[in-house]
Amino acid sequence: MVNRTLYFRELRGSWKLLVIFAGVLTMYITMIIWMYDPKMAEAMEQFEQLMPELMAAVGMTRTEDSLISFMSSYLYGMILLVFPMVYTIIRAHGLVARYVDRGSMAALLAAPVKRTSICLTQLSVLVTGVLLLMGYATVLELAAAGALFPGELDVAALLRLNSGLLALQLFLAGFCFFCSCLFDDARYSLAAGAGVPVLMYLMQMLANMGGKLENFRYLTVFSLFQTQSLIQGEGAGWLGTGVLLVGAVLLAGAAVVVFFRRDLPV
Amino acid sequence: MSVIEVSHLTRDYGHGKGVFDLSMEINAGEVFGFLGPNGAGKTTTIRHLMGFIRPRSGFCTIEGRDCWRQAAEIQRNLGYIPGEITFFEEMNGAEYLRFLQRYRGMPDAGRTAELVERFELTLRGKIKKMSKGMKQKIGIVAAFMHDPDILILDEPTSGLDPLMQNRFIELIQEEKARGKTILMSSHMFEEVERTCDRIGMIRAGKLVALDSTEALRQQYLKSYTVTLDDQEQAADFARDFGGKQEGCRVTVSARQTLEEIFLRYYGGDV
Repeated sequence: MVNRTLYFRELRGSWKLLVIFAGVLTMYITMIIWMYDPKMAEAMEQFEQLMPELMAAVGMTRTEDSLISFMSSYLYGMILLVFPMVYTIIRAHGLVARYVDRGSMAALLAAPVKRTSICLTQLSVLVTGVLLLMGYATVLELAAAGALFPGELDVAALLRLNSGLLALQLFLAGFCFFCSCLFDDARYSLAAGAGVPVLMYLMQMLANMGGKLENFRYLTVFSLFQTQSLIQGEGAGWLGTGVLLVGAVLLAGAAVVVFFRRDLPV
Repeated sequence: MSVIEVSHLTRDYGHGKGVFDLSMEINAGEVFGFLGPNGAGKTTTIRHLMGFIRPRSGFCTIEGRDCWRQAAEIQRNLGYIPGEITFFEEMNGAEYLRFLQRYRGMPDAGRTAELVERFELTLRGKIKKMSKGMKQKIGIVAAFMHDPDILILDEPTSGLDPLMQNRFIELIQEEKARGKTILMSSHMFEEVERTCDRIGMIRAGKLVALDSTEALRQQYLKSYTVTLDDQEQAADFARDFGGKQEGCRVTVSARQTLEEIFLRYYGGDV
């Protein structure tokens, strides 16, 4: 079902972007883990006292003194949500909508390769990129924590946290890919594919600030990624993860169906 | 036997754009010229044949297969030059052709080397930086590399210099001799006259003429009979203008070029 030639060629096309995002993640992950130091933690606490709303918005509120909860506050509130999301937005757009808009999709269609196969190939490229980024982040977290604070990290909790994060990123990938398959015009694909996730993240920020604003969490998928529950290994965390995964599969399926049925003005 | 069949194809884009109840058949081994001004519906028809868009009513088939439902099967034996050539711009020419070869699942490079030589194609350098003519040549190679039996060519010589246009016409003539079925849209009357057996002219989405190239010309054959002073003059006149002499009277026929016929059909809109 997947065209190998196209798959590897598109993977090569993702390479540069993957390296850039991996670089950014490397910088933040190592920096944040390195800051898990009583003295640095004090500095962060001062930040929290200075601007409690802003720190809360990006999820940077501390609950307990463990490396995993430190990481979940400072990495899983913004950095690990936003950067892979930006990668997904750029790549999902480039894999379908840009080709349709520019007309080069014609070259892909003018070959004995089924539309479904083209679409599934592009989807696998997107998913591969997300998996690589998440896999890299996990390995790096384990390595950095192991090197800087041996024995301090609850590895099982980290893996639970990252599986939830992966589900969230796959959901976003499904959504962006769906937008990329749906629209003729690259502008609309980008407006919807980037606009909706960014808006949802902003709502998550508002919800994090608490009080009445907390109701915003019902409007954003980010709230289905429940870091605390996942760290504790509670059912709610797994439920959110499951919902996200099901959503991801449904969106990806819808994208393939839409692409299969639609007119392509190329 | 018809290889390409378009039957009552209708696709209305509004404002008179689209194709309306279009029917035509192209037989095996035939070169069919598809003429019409910009926006008449040539590319829309071709997009239907390629399975890019779904007919709203009517249907089209190639080798008996439905162009929408069985597009991938049809493509196995079909070569296509798009009206506007856009490729993966960051590749160079050689990479692109190699990519297509593998993407199509071809066992080897097919006719690539021969065609590259024939059209003096330079494969180095990114496609993004190539001239329109060079991109067009890559499009030609991509359409013929797998030696398909059916060719759908949307303005295949646009951007080519006269020398290359001529080489392209020769290629079409050779392919025709090898029994290929070709549908070609064009604005170059010379290439259509030199290659096409039959011509369909489309205007505002409707077919306005469909006949053999020869018959279309015959239809517009004009004859003039002139009377000269003596038989000797008449004989000279007949020789110089290729007329028929009868005593002092000479009848000459003015064959109109395809271009003139075309302009007759489109008068105001060209």
